[in-house]
Amino acid sequence: MELETLKSIWQEQDTPPVSATSREELLALLQKQSGGPIARMRRNLRKEVILMVVSYGFCILFYLLAFNGEMSGVAWLFVGLFAFFYVYYYRKNLLLKKMQCVSCEVRSNLAGQLKTLQKYLRFYFWSSTLIVPVSLFVTFEITIHNRTTPVSSWVWMASLLFALTGGLTVAVYFLNRWYIHKLYGRHIRKLEELLREMDEV
Amino acid sequence: MHNQGLQDAFIGLVDTNRGILYKICRMYGATEPDRQDLFQEIVIQLWRSYPAFRGDSKFSTWLYRIALNTAISDLRKQRRHITTINPDSLPTQLQDIQYNSEKEEQLQSLYAAISRLTEVEKALTMLYLEDKSYVEMEEILGIPQNNLRVKMNRIKEKLRKMTKEAVYGVGNT
Repeated sequence: MELETLKSIWQEQDTPPVSATSREELLALLQKQSGGPIARMRRNLRKEVILMVVSYGFCILFYLLAFNGEMSGVAWLFVGLFAFFYVYYYRKNLLLKKMQCVSCEVRSNLAGQLKTLQKYLRFYFWSSTLIVPVSLFVTFEITIHNRTTPVSSWVWMASLLFALTGGLTVAVYFLNRWYIHKLYGRHIRKLEELLREMDEV
Repeated sequence: MHNQGLQDAFIGLVDTNRGILYKICRMYGATEPDRQDLFQEIVIQLWRSYPAFRGDSKFSTWLYRIALNTAISDLRKQRRHITTINPDSLPTQLQDIQYNSEKEEQLQSLYAAISRLTEVEKALTMLYLEDKSYVEMEEILGIPQNNLRVKMNRIKEKLRKMTKEAVYGVGNT
């Protein structure tokens, strides 16, 4: 078929409404949440934040109030971890907000999405890997807090702690790499392909 | 949060441009439920961006950007639908297949050809068929005009070939 014929067929086609959407249905649509991948990531992040605030809030209050305040040091450790997670979620949310610009040119939106997603994943990867040794050291501190133990036991416990931390950190490093690739690998490849196709002449 | 007037104006604009949205959904959605999902997502994204629309670009440019951005970067897996067909309803002879009109048949082969294009090619085809100039295409897609011209020539050739194949059969070009 000639291209001009294709054009006129295209322009003259009947365009019935998708599922015959009425005004009321359109109004109902406006109240709905987006089902896009970035919107879902932000919703999941919000759930994680709520869970973190509740669980850490409970732990902080518990160690501050129980044991006549003798374990308040542990509560401050939790405050430290809470602050770490606060920064972590704040940065993640900031990156997710920047990830999409639907009203921008398609190419710049895709390029921005790819760049921000890669930054997001790097941050996610290193934070979730490094939290392992930090958590282990905090747990160790909580366990031995206010306990009088002989120096010989200290050496043994410290060696065990370092071995455990090293082993677990390496394992989590590879696990995270695999997990991130599994979750986002296809998405990143697709974005790269789209951009390559847009740029090639 | 949003006043009634804003909602009414928005619904009016969606209604006026329903044709464009319908065509994009038909291009990018493999099945009817996929198209409905995409339509919903585009309307949601349009509504979210609507308060920020200041008229710096033409409304149609803004609409195409949002609709195409949503369709292209919405990388959710398309649903897999198993449709059951009654064998008795299948045509026994090719001549039994009836199209409403010759135009409908041509439109079907055009959509069939478009479905074989990549996502970027589909976007270019959509804008070409809607008679958009290269300036507007660049504003929507962000691809430089000289690059667009080269791509468009390639796509035109592909479309010509594929629609010919659909009409005259593969190999009879």
